[in-house]
Amino acid sequence: MKVNEVPQDNTVQYYEGIKRACYAVNNEGKYVIVPSNGWEAEEFINGLAVDELAVNLEKTRKAVLAGEKSPLAYHMERRQMIPGILGKTAGIAVFRVKRHCRPEIFAKLKDSVLDRYATALAITREELKTVPQK
Amino acid sequence: MSEEVTAGGKPFIHHHSAHCESGVTSALFRDKGLEISEPMIFGIGSGIFFGHLPFVKWVGLPISTYRTQPGAIFRKAAKRLGGEFVTQHFRNAKKGMDELRRVLQSGQIVGLTTNIYWLSYFPNRFRFQFNGHNIIVLHEIENGFRVSDPVLDRPMDCLTDDLVRARFARGPMEPHGFMYYPLSITPKPDMRTACIKGMLDTCNMMLRIPLPIFGIRGIRFLAKRVATSDKKLGFQEACRELGNIVRMQEEVGTGGAGFRYMYAAFLQETAELFGSPELNELSQEMTAIGDIWREFAVVSARIIKKRGKQEETFAKAGGLMLVCAGREEELYKNLRDAAGKLKA
Repeated sequence: MKVNEVPQDNTVQYYEGIKRACYAVNNEGKYVIVPSNGWEAEEFINGLAVDELAVNLEKTRKAVLAGEKSPLAYHMERRQMIPGILGKTAGIAVFRVKRHCRPEIFAKLKDSVLDRYATALAITREELKTVPQK
Repeated sequence: MSEEVTAGGKPFIHHHSAHCESGVTSALFRDKGLEISEPMIFGIGSGIFFGHLPFVKWVGLPISTYRTQPGAIFRKAAKRLGGEFVTQHFRNAKKGMDELRRVLQSGQIVGLTTNIYWLSYFPNRFRFQFNGHNIIVLHEIENGFRVSDPVLDRPMDCLTDDLVRARFARGPMEPHGFMYYPLSITPKPDMRTACIKGMLDTCNMMLRIPLPIFGIRGIRFLAKRVATSDKKLGFQEACRELGNIVRMQEEVGTGGAGFRYMYAAFLQETAELFGSPELNELSQEMTAIGDIWREFAVVSARIIKKRGKQEETFAKAGGLMLVCAGREEELYKNLRDAAGKLKA
């Protein structure tokens, strides 16, 4: 890649003003670091992955509002976690985390258990019990 | 590049780097007075690699990696350049933070392994649960730390809460608060021997691992999978997998083309060190291979966008990868011969 071939597609939303270092060859044939402010192809593919997460999260949110899943499932997914990671972080067995994703069981949880989830997810206990309406 | 001061009052120059681990390691060496560039560390630490792990899933997709496992670059570079290093793991978060503060106060900068999701100064779209990001902590500030993240173009402030979460995150490849720093380094290390060792190690890993998922064989394996994936998995799922491969190649701090350009930069520097025209040619060849990897990324993006013309197919993407495999194999064989002949 030549210095003038380093993509500068100015993908503001993606990089948030931060530049990425790329290695490229300058006119004398030497490698130098060139800051790039974005590449469309890369942004597009990253966008796909981000959108997929957002779509799944939205599905979970609707399921919570419909009473099919507990708010815990939503907050876990918002932190891009899976029951295995959340269970380890909160110190709760994975099978219990999975059970707590069912609304009728989540409703009966003690405050001490809720607090452990809340700390692990970096939210308050009140936030943990609800999901955004919109 | 921007000036910062460490807790010990020493000036620290932040260098913008392509990859986190090699950037952190070279900054640690520079802080001790050895001027060494990021590609040099990357080459000496044998950072370049290829592996496709179809059975290890990350967000439901198989992992393709263009580098060695996290931590290996620092370990190998430290061993080959020589010096006295401290590495520590912690079970207890409080002990880990206390030790970090103590070491910072002694005027030392510290490398940390962290989870990228909890580092809130990062752009949102890069944040995902990945436990192998490396940063440097410079000094403590009011309710936080001043950190130099080599992937970003300037030093940042990180909240204490975030840093604790990031250091002690759970999940695959837990960092366990891993911190590392040099106490002293060899003042005039034997660069030539270190470079030769690094190159030969790389050639061995790329050419001689007797498993079909690593090295050159790994590239061929993945190329064949990509070429037929739309028929086996269906268009939608095949696109997800292809997108993931390109993300691993371009996004996760690689300096372009899955570290291939950075390795070419290393070969160029070693060519100067040894005065060897052979290595210079290999560097140019590596650049050419990197260009093909870039083309693979562009073709993949077009396939997924579906707006490509008829010729942009999965078979073409896989074909490009096979070309890379063939040329890389040739390159590492030549490199092995060239490095074997060099005098330390």
